[in-house]
Amino acid sequence: MVIGLGAAMFPLRGHLSIATTALILVIPVVIAVAIGGVVAGVVATAAGFLVYDFIFIPPYNTLYVGAAENWVALGVYVIVTIVIAQVVARMNAARREARLRVAEVRRLFDLSELLVRESSMPDLLTTIVETVRRAFDLDSAALLLPVGEGLELVATSGAPLSELELHQVSVDRAVPVSLEAGVVRRGGIQAVALVASGRGIGLLALRGSGGASKDTELLRAFANHLALALERAELGEYAVRAQLLEEVDRLRRSLLGAVSHDLRTPLATIKVSASTLVESSAKVTGPDIRKLGELIVGQADRLERLVSNVLDMTRIQSGALELRRQPTAVADLVDEALSVLGSLAELERVQWQAPADLPLVDVDHVLICQVLANLIDNATRYAPGDTQVTISARRSQDGAVEVAVADRGPGVPANERTSIFQMFNRREAGGRGGLGLAIAQVFVEAHGQRIWIDESDGPGARFVFTLPLADASAGT
Amino acid sequence: MARVLVIDDDRALLQALRVGLTLRGHEVIVAVAGEEGLSKVALEDPEIVILDLGLPDLDGLEVCHRIRQWSEVPIIVLSAIGLESRKVAALDGGANDYVTKPFGMAELEARIRTAIRDHRSDGTPKGDQLVVGELEFDLVHHQVMREGKPIELTAREFDLLAYLARHVGKVCTHQMILEHVWGPEYGTEAEYLRVYVYRLRRKLGDVGGHQLRTSPGIGYSLSAD
Repeated sequence: MVIGLGAAMFPLRGHLSIATTALILVIPVVIAVAIGGVVAGVVATAAGFLVYDFIFIPPYNTLYVGAAENWVALGVYVIVTIVIAQVVARMNAARREARLRVAEVRRLFDLSELLVRESSMPDLLTTIVETVRRAFDLDSAALLLPVGEGLELVATSGAPLSELELHQVSVDRAVPVSLEAGVVRRGGIQAVALVASGRGIGLLALRGSGGASKDTELLRAFANHLALALERAELGEYAVRAQLLEEVDRLRRSLLGAVSHDLRTPLATIKVSASTLVESSAKVTGPDIRKLGELIVGQADRLERLVSNVLDMTRIQSGALELRRQPTAVADLVDEALSVLGSLAELERVQWQAPADLPLVDVDHVLICQVLANLIDNATRYAPGDTQVTISARRSQDGAVEVAVADRGPGVPANERTSIFQMFNRREAGGRGGLGLAIAQVFVEAHGQRIWIDESDGPGARFVFTLPLADASAGT
Repeated sequence: MARVLVIDDDRALLQALRVGLTLRGHEVIVAVAGEEGLSKVALEDPEIVILDLGLPDLDGLEVCHRIRQWSEVPIIVLSAIGLESRKVAALDGGANDYVTKPFGMAELEARIRTAIRDHRSDGTPKGDQLVVGELEFDLVHHQVMREGKPIELTAREFDLLAYLARHVGKVCTHQMILEHVWGPEYGTEAEYLRVYVYRLRRKLGDVGGHQLRTSPGIGYSLSAD
């Protein structure tokens, strides 16, 4: 380039002053340094010097420098180019450094983004070892977490570390290798402590020829990020577990409250009836004995139903009860529900309406019978004694059977139509509800169906639930 | 014996109570909802009302409150256990006593009898005298006599005993007692009451608390027995 430029200027050499030529010849030096670095700069300077001296400084075509002022020009040229070369070279170095930093920051950023995104603990651990191995171009990376007294391998990426290597890293069982000391080398394995809140929470074991050793700073930054992410994940798991326990506790308390309330109601009738039989035995007459006896039997049945319902419900909720589904006719379910309630005198009020071509449903008939029984029991208890309770069933548009239990009672206020199914809804505070409806909801939802209150249709409450069709009859 | 109105939505319990109370010589009227109960209080003129707090149409507390707007008929509240706050609210709202489910007929009968008798011999002071059982209160000189002999009481002890005597047979809640005896700025310091009731019982010779009765978590009542 110097030579090209020299050639280009050659025809003009009579017109150009020595100083101008020198300035122009600085250009290729600058370009050479910028592109090729210091070495190229030195070469370009030397070439420029030769061309300048040989061609442009009189006497031409010799290395001899004539007049003193030409010496000065040549000297200035050399000094200027050297200084420029140095400055440009330093600038270049700084730019390379900056690019490197940008890459590091980007890797850290990518890492933190990954860490923030991952939610479950196992995913997080895999992400950590994968990212570290790739970021530092290692053969293998392993993550060890303290379990009890020692360290346990929880995730690896790349070639797995041998037992011996792991042993070398975690040789101090009680205090993980220099958990406080940052990065330590031990027999070809690099151990990086993960420290958060002044507490060692894990150890990275790295093996490989990659740049890990010279990126110690970056490795520490990684370690800090990972430690924080691990700590966050740990705390997150604690929080979830605590929340779960709290929820279980709340449910258990509300179940206890509801059970004790709903058990006491039939118990009250039993105790009143029985104590009358005992205490007024002299006066009590035949029809009264029969009446009280019926009440006791009926309420004892109710208690029994409640207890087995609660047992089934807790089994469903703990996953211990599997549904025994079989194709069943809705009419049979209604019959059975009425016979379950058999000893209640209220049942003459119950009417059953359904189209003749109603398809079979695929349900656990014991559970759905209880749903129906609870809804009928509820309706007969809350609707005035001289009104009808209607059970109806029809095929719905979305391929299910919709069963409704409707009464002409006071109905359910709009704002209670969801909470009425909750266990901790206390009937005592006015309105109806209680355990029966909560149980009905659990049983219906165990079939993947739903239950709700529809009051669009006149006065009274209308409890509706859906049942799945049995496949064999789906076409009818 | 008495005209009893039972307001409860549980028909089984209503039937059992009807049989049991009738056999004990009472005349029984029943209502299955709050509004029906309110109109029967007005129309049938019962001597006592047994009211379940959980009704389908009206809150039992509301029923209690509305009865008290025009009638002084004794009210016994039925309630499941674990709802002390609602029993207290019912007593504050004018109920005379409460029974926790499940209960036997003997207990209910005893409470009915007490409530009716105390209502008849209502502890309203005649002039400056008040008599509850063996206790004679001289409201002017702040003295309590039993069989002609005075019982030494401090001013606060007298006020407390006289307040319970004015509401003889009725369960007075901690808050009611504190507000009326100690003053309106009190209301939650139930531990004061325990101390005073303990001293009163010793001075009355009522070791077992048969006369000055405790309703755990709720309040106290003075019995005429």
